[in-house]
Amino acid sequence: MKNKIGVYICHCGGNISDYVDVEKVRDAVKDIEGVEISVDTMFACADSSQKQIFNDIKEKQLDGLVVASCSPKLHYPTFSAVAERAGLNKYNYVHANIREQVSWAHSDNKLGATEKAIQAVKAAIAGVKESISLEPIKIKSQKIVAVIGAGVAGMRAAKELADLGVKVYLIEREYFVGGRVAQLDYLCRVQETGKELVTRMYEAIHKHENITLFTGAEIIEKGGSIGNFKIKLKITPRYIKKDCNEDELKKAIEVCPVEVDDDFNFNITKRKAIYKNYPSEYPQKPAIDIKNCTRCGECEKVCSSIDFNQKEEILDLTVGSILTATGFDPYRPKENEFGWGLDNVVTLPQFRRIINMCDDKLIYNGKEIKEIAYIYCVGSRQVDGENKYCSRYCCTATLYTSILTHKKYKNIHAYHFNRGIRTYGKQEVIYDEVSQLGDIFLQSYEYDPATVEKQGDKTIVKVKDILTNNTEIEVEADLVVLVTGMEPRKDNSIGDVLKIPKGRDRFYNEIHMKLRPVETVIDGITIAGACQGPKNILESVNSALSAATKSYSIVNTGELALEPIIASVNEDTCTWCGLCADACPYDAIELINKNGKDIAEINKSVCKGCGMCLPVCESDSIEMSGFTNNIIENMISAYADI
Amino acid sequence: MQYQTDNNSYDALVIGAGIAGGEAALNLANLGYKVLLIDKDLTIGGKMIMLSKVFPTLDCSACITTPKVSEISRHPNIKILTSTQASNITQKSDGTFMAEITTKPRYVEIEDCTGCQLCEEACPVIVKDQYQYDLVGRKAAYIPFSIASPRAAAIDIENCTLCGACERACPTNCIDFTQTDKKITIKCNTVILATGFQLFDPTLIPRYGFGRFKNVITSMQMERQLAPTRPFNTVLRPSDGKLPDNIAYVLCTGSRDKTLGNPICSQVCCMYSTKQAQLLMGALPMADITLYYLHIRAFGKGFNEFYAQAQSMGVEFVKGKVAKITEKENGNLILRYEDINGNVVKETEHDMVVLSVGILPNVGIQELFSGINLELDEFNYVKQTDVLASPAATSINGVFVAGTASAPMDIPDSILSAGAASAEAANYIRKMSEINVSV
Repeated sequence: MKNKIGVYICHCGGNISDYVDVEKVRDAVKDIEGVEISVDTMFACADSSQKQIFNDIKEKQLDGLVVASCSPKLHYPTFSAVAERAGLNKYNYVHANIREQVSWAHSDNKLGATEKAIQAVKAAIAGVKESISLEPIKIKSQKIVAVIGAGVAGMRAAKELADLGVKVYLIEREYFVGGRVAQLDYLCRVQETGKELVTRMYEAIHKHENITLFTGAEIIEKGGSIGNFKIKLKITPRYIKKDCNEDELKKAIEVCPVEVDDDFNFNITKRKAIYKNYPSEYPQKPAIDIKNCTRCGECEKVCSSIDFNQKEEILDLTVGSILTATGFDPYRPKENEFGWGLDNVVTLPQFRRIINMCDDKLIYNGKEIKEIAYIYCVGSRQVDGENKYCSRYCCTATLYTSILTHKKYKNIHAYHFNRGIRTYGKQEVIYDEVSQLGDIFLQSYEYDPATVEKQGDKTIVKVKDILTNNTEIEVEADLVVLVTGMEPRKDNSIGDVLKIPKGRDRFYNEIHMKLRPVETVIDGITIAGACQGPKNILESVNSALSAATKSYSIVNTGELALEPIIASVNEDTCTWCGLCADACPYDAIELINKNGKDIAEINKSVCKGCGMCLPVCESDSIEMSGFTNNIIENMISAYADI
Repeated sequence: MQYQTDNNSYDALVIGAGIAGGEAALNLANLGYKVLLIDKDLTIGGKMIMLSKVFPTLDCSACITTPKVSEISRHPNIKILTSTQASNITQKSDGTFMAEITTKPRYVEIEDCTGCQLCEEACPVIVKDQYQYDLVGRKAAYIPFSIASPRAAAIDIENCTLCGACERACPTNCIDFTQTDKKITIKCNTVILATGFQLFDPTLIPRYGFGRFKNVITSMQMERQLAPTRPFNTVLRPSDGKLPDNIAYVLCTGSRDKTLGNPICSQVCCMYSTKQAQLLMGALPMADITLYYLHIRAFGKGFNEFYAQAQSMGVEFVKGKVAKITEKENGNLILRYEDINGNVVKETEHDMVVLSVGILPNVGIQELFSGINLELDEFNYVKQTDVLASPAATSINGVFVAGTASAPMDIPDSILSAGAASAEAANYIRKMSEINVSV
């Protein structure tokens, strides 16, 4: 039983004190048995207030602490740390939320808000009275990070971690590295192509002693928790021998009779079942797409490096942290969306591949292209569709693409059907450059976008242009380029395996959008690059390096201290009904047999203390340390003034 | 993990203790490295700690900054020096750096000051409060603001009359007028530049009348009026203290304007203006809010949705460039602008105008170095020499850039850029330590 409790009530600079009479709250609790001091403070979180709490704990030898302020989501860690620094075990601190749950919720009723705040603080005091000191659970952490996705974000993160002395498993689902950037040639504002950038990054990783690259590899199961994730890796073979003969492999590709749509070129070309996306691609060995291979054996006749006996492999790995850099998919337009389906309507990613393939003249479907209509925000900023977000990279990417076409081909005329150009930051100069090239900008609002229709053999793009007083303008285009945005990966199996939460935009969700953009609510799992939200290369690499820093700080010392607030089973009363194990979202509860009796056992490093198992236990055999029945009952009684 | 223990030797020198510098320092300190974090201001926290709420989450900025600031100031691996600047940074042949660190006198012993504010009460001098962006006054003996860190008084010696009233009032005798510049020379393995940005000075656009028309204020002044530590406890217009009911925002003030030498977009003004508009609808439910814009750049995570939310709340967005502002006798303002929708030049009256001022690079960063050249880009930001693969790298090996020192950016991008800088700095420190151990 604590009898020297310090109570601190925060004004939050008016956020609380505008509606709650903080002084009244302070006085209402100061005489409660066990309360040593009760004070109010302008900002409890401010440095000076923390100093005061620290000094009070030391000087008055407080054995319990109550802070009544904002949501514990914001400042529970702050005041826990103050308690710890002052030598008070942090589990003897109870937080009362009198902002989100009181002042903000009851801003229309100041008297009532004050009354509620008093009860909330009384309940916290009742809770702290019964609190018990707890020590963190220490576990060993593997000094290994699994990086998922070998695009630029994943490769860059892997290199940084490896240089810092961490072992990295770099896991790529495709047979080749480079992700989306490998599909790009010239890049905006730098003198390097996407392929060159990928090559540079690959060279930095492929001989690195700390990096193991897996291609054709997917995580199919995840267990364990921070410090010791157990992952199951399924590796699909390339069906090419380790020591292979390059010339023969070239022949093998030539003779393969199977032709399928080429994903790498966004289906505007075909590729063989044995393939490489481009000559300098890494790893520099082709792969056999076994799903489409007919096993006709033609390749084997000309090439001794083919090996159909290679088997799928399953690997069990243990890692300390998982860095997810799984990227995005370009939006795929729906049938008839802005003319999608017509033979001269392509997406921006497709158009970039077309430019890559056409040297002197821009030719598509046998026709030379002179008049190009770009339609922006396809799949982004949708009024009716579910993608309400802006895809961030596309305005600049399109303008840069237009510059490329002007540089590469003669007499190109470009029309930009946009909804307001978003070349933020230094990218503004690209907009300026394109304007000076004579491109024409036609703008509309979200609810009144451009339309594409066929009139005979002509393709007409129409818009009511707000820049010219809503004049209806028609452009006859040789080619319509749909500026498609970014979407979360269609195949999100990895997200499901790792249980990473998603936001309303369906991209992976960070802990805090502003201050913790690369961490997730699952301890030990970080997110980088476009899987968290649309990003350009620079932004993806920044987030990759940030995530590398966070993952590194998890594994670098080899030891982790975990929260001791976890469930425990009363072995005498438990009769194993299994309800708790069913309720546990973390698979932390197992059946064991102890002294001939079936009981539930809780895995301490997996249990998160969520409390889901408590209410389902019919024999009331589970307790949560720090939130025992006794504590909760006392708090409820105090709240209700019983 | 600490490689160096002597007093003036650090793993990293971080210049600038705003959100980017603070985050970079924390990242490195959490990895066990010893960091010297300096800021030329009296307090750490940079511009973020001054903001009201942040977009698009509408978190109270002070509430999310103070725990960070507190964590930084209490970290055993971080040494903080405020009122401090670096100079003469040189690189030795082994790749490590030497720097001269000068701390200007505060005339107050930070350790002894309790923040009781008795000196403030006693001081007879009143000047404009730069931390409230000149909206109200402060004393010459003053605490920068209530959540400053350190929360200690300082004497503004430029305006102090040396009357001695503060010294007499101070219960802990912490005021010391004999303080002079303190200079130390430090050794460090790496340098992180997190020197931040400056706001555009709107007096450079005389036709907007800032400085002449009382009811034309900057967005930072509005930010202060909306902050929890706001000076008036409500939003009011400066000329007569009236609650404004028809507020206009002029976007791109000082951005995207070649005539002012700043052709680029500041990346944050559209969103902070949209945020302020939403906050104003809460603070002044009867007020009309109009944003005059060129393009709304709602590009980040959750931004476009936030912009749509403002539209649905009734914030009016008018596409058009404001040419000129004139003042009426009653203090109201006439905005002359090209209304793109109507294709006409229009004039509209508002009772208060907020200029959404842009971001400009800080000057003088190159001069911190001696014998080594820190390159700037064409916009005078610190040049990112390998912008796609190593965004934090600069023209000096071992010097990294974080936050708005390299480009305009918002808070999450600053945090990411600081994360990148700390990753690369950690690797550089590791390399330096290995070299030094092997020698």
